[in-house]
Amino acid sequence: MLTTWLEPWGRALLFGAGYNTSLVTLGAMILGASAGMIGSFILLRKRSLVSDAVSHATLPGLTLAFILMATLWGDGRWLPGLLIGAAASAAFGLWAVQTIRDRTRLGEDAAIGAILSTLFGFGVVLITAIQSMNVGGQAGLTGYLVGATAGMLASEATLITACALLLLVAVFVMRRAFLLVCFDADYATTRGLNARHIDLIMLMLLLAVVVIGLKVTGLILIVALTIIPPVTGRFWTDRPLRMVAIAALCGALAGYLGVTLSSVRSGLPTGPLIVLAAFLLFAVSLLFSPRRGIVATLAAHQRFKRRVHLRQGLLALARDDAIYDDLTLRVLRRRGYIRRDGVATPLGASAARDAEHEERLWALYRNRYPDEAAQLDHQGLVPINSALPPDTVITLESDLQRIPGSVQ
Amino acid sequence: MNAALDPEIAASPLAVHGLTVSYGRKPAVYSVDFVTPPGSMTAIIGPNGAGKSTLLKAALGITRRLSGDVRVFGKPYAEQSRHVAYVPQRSSVDWDFPATVLDVVMMGLYRDLRWWQLTRRRHREQAMQSLSRVGMEAFAERQIGQLSGGQQQRVFLARALVQDAELMILDEPFAGVDAATEKAIVEVLKSLKARGKTLLCVHHDLATVRDYFDHVLLINVRRVAAGRVDQAFTSAALQEAYGGRLSDVQLARIICPAAHLTQRA
Repeated sequence: MLTTWLEPWGRALLFGAGYNTSLVTLGAMILGASAGMIGSFILLRKRSLVSDAVSHATLPGLTLAFILMATLWGDGRWLPGLLIGAAASAAFGLWAVQTIRDRTRLGEDAAIGAILSTLFGFGVVLITAIQSMNVGGQAGLTGYLVGATAGMLASEATLITACALLLLVAVFVMRRAFLLVCFDADYATTRGLNARHIDLIMLMLLLAVVVIGLKVTGLILIVALTIIPPVTGRFWTDRPLRMVAIAALCGALAGYLGVTLSSVRSGLPTGPLIVLAAFLLFAVSLLFSPRRGIVATLAAHQRFKRRVHLRQGLLALARDDAIYDDLTLRVLRRRGYIRRDGVATPLGASAARDAEHEERLWALYRNRYPDEAAQLDHQGLVPINSALPPDTVITLESDLQRIPGSVQ
Repeated sequence: MNAALDPEIAASPLAVHGLTVSYGRKPAVYSVDFVTPPGSMTAIIGPNGAGKSTLLKAALGITRRLSGDVRVFGKPYAEQSRHVAYVPQRSSVDWDFPATVLDVVMMGLYRDLRWWQLTRRRHREQAMQSLSRVGMEAFAERQIGQLSGGQQQRVFLARALVQDAELMILDEPFAGVDAATEKAIVEVLKSLKARGKTLLCVHHDLATVRDYFDHVLLINVRRVAAGRVDQAFTSAALQEAYGGRLSDVQLARIICPAAHLTQRA
């Protein structure tokens, strides 16, 4: 049973499952990469929900285009026509959201909710109408809801791949302008960028990704491809363009896994499988990312705890206080700061002196600049040189020497 | 205004004429004229809500203006944006943004990088150089969310420095920063002035105006006074700008800080 699944999947993974499947796989990967890239900028601009509105708003245009083509030619399944219809109604939805946000007191989220449900509802009504029509290919329309790559024509796959590639290049060209606007739109304006135009280009590229992705993931799930990979990327890096690159990689990987899996059996929906693959990558990152993953956070907490104990132990040594805490004693002993009987070694004595000196500097800093000090994380636990600019430290050092009674 | 004919406006790094900005029906800035003298260090002063930041934002094209004309070296701002470096208020950005200090400073090089270029060592060195001018080179790889208020302000200043612009416009650079940072920033600004650059700065601490600046623009929605500090920064002008909210003792301390210091000593 398992081998009957694994064998064709393996063939698909190695691009050996026929020309069409390979082309679709490649297209889905490029689509995933562009969705991840543009999605990252949308996430950084804090407008992720907009992609939800865009995708749902495609349905009425899609169905209207189908009805129009069906009445004219008797068959409404011509992909470019459907995509143009979808793009037009998505653009209308986007325009409506922007107008509600700009002209009324409603926020963008409320506008998105209103437009998304209305247009999607309208589209569902139209689908019902189509089903009562006497034309061919109505069944194919549900493929646009959850994605269906299995029976895709070579011409359709080529179109999707070419458009996705074009989008990828467009996002790459615009990356620095997008970044500038995402971080600080006002500053971007002073550098001669028109922030409104850049925002518009960003949304147009998002719209294009959604529309091109309709046949691959379906309109309900394309959102996942523009949100999950960027969030996954955020786990692995603190640098903006690296986050975009990682998101592109995750999107491509999700597309690759999803399409190849769905090719194993006819009737397996592509969209859900792509989303599940994207989620798998997200879950792995959530657990194991070295920066923000759950495991790393727990380890960092343990390290932090040891650092607190080390510092407290050293200060106690400097003041000749007795130490009772087990962990403190263990930490000091492991570093060679105390002997087995709890007496400080020469190394420990000098470390204790350093710690006490730092503690004085920090105390002086807290005293001088209370507001600043309140903003800094765990002051006193990191070397003061790595936490404050050198000129500040020099001022503190010289001030400390002038204070009468300070032991130097 | 015919900018082509007025040599003073053609030479000024920022000249505004009849600038009016309105939020709703209430004017935030009303018909302000000001010609920034080249090579000057000018403080924009006024009470809260006087439209100081709004004036700058409208001049820079961030906020839409209702009427008025803005010229940078005699030409519209859009053509001249490379000559202007802007240091916004710290609170204007999300400090959780995934970026390191170096990333933020590199944003100042936006115009030097074409889309096909990757950032080179030359750009990185340029950014590091301006970071070292504000004492932050050791923080280049730090995530910006880990910085204190004063350090954030230094990073913004470094981003503006890397632009190497003729005019630097700063919006409350000393708000909520520690004394050491204030000193460091003032030193950088004075060195810029010594190199012939022009500085325009929204400032809220009246007591330091005389120490830091050579020109002032006093506004309270409308222009109250402008000119050299020793001529325009008078108690009469201050009383007018602040609507009589300053006491005599405060005024004496502001107008004659030296006398106040000797008194205290």
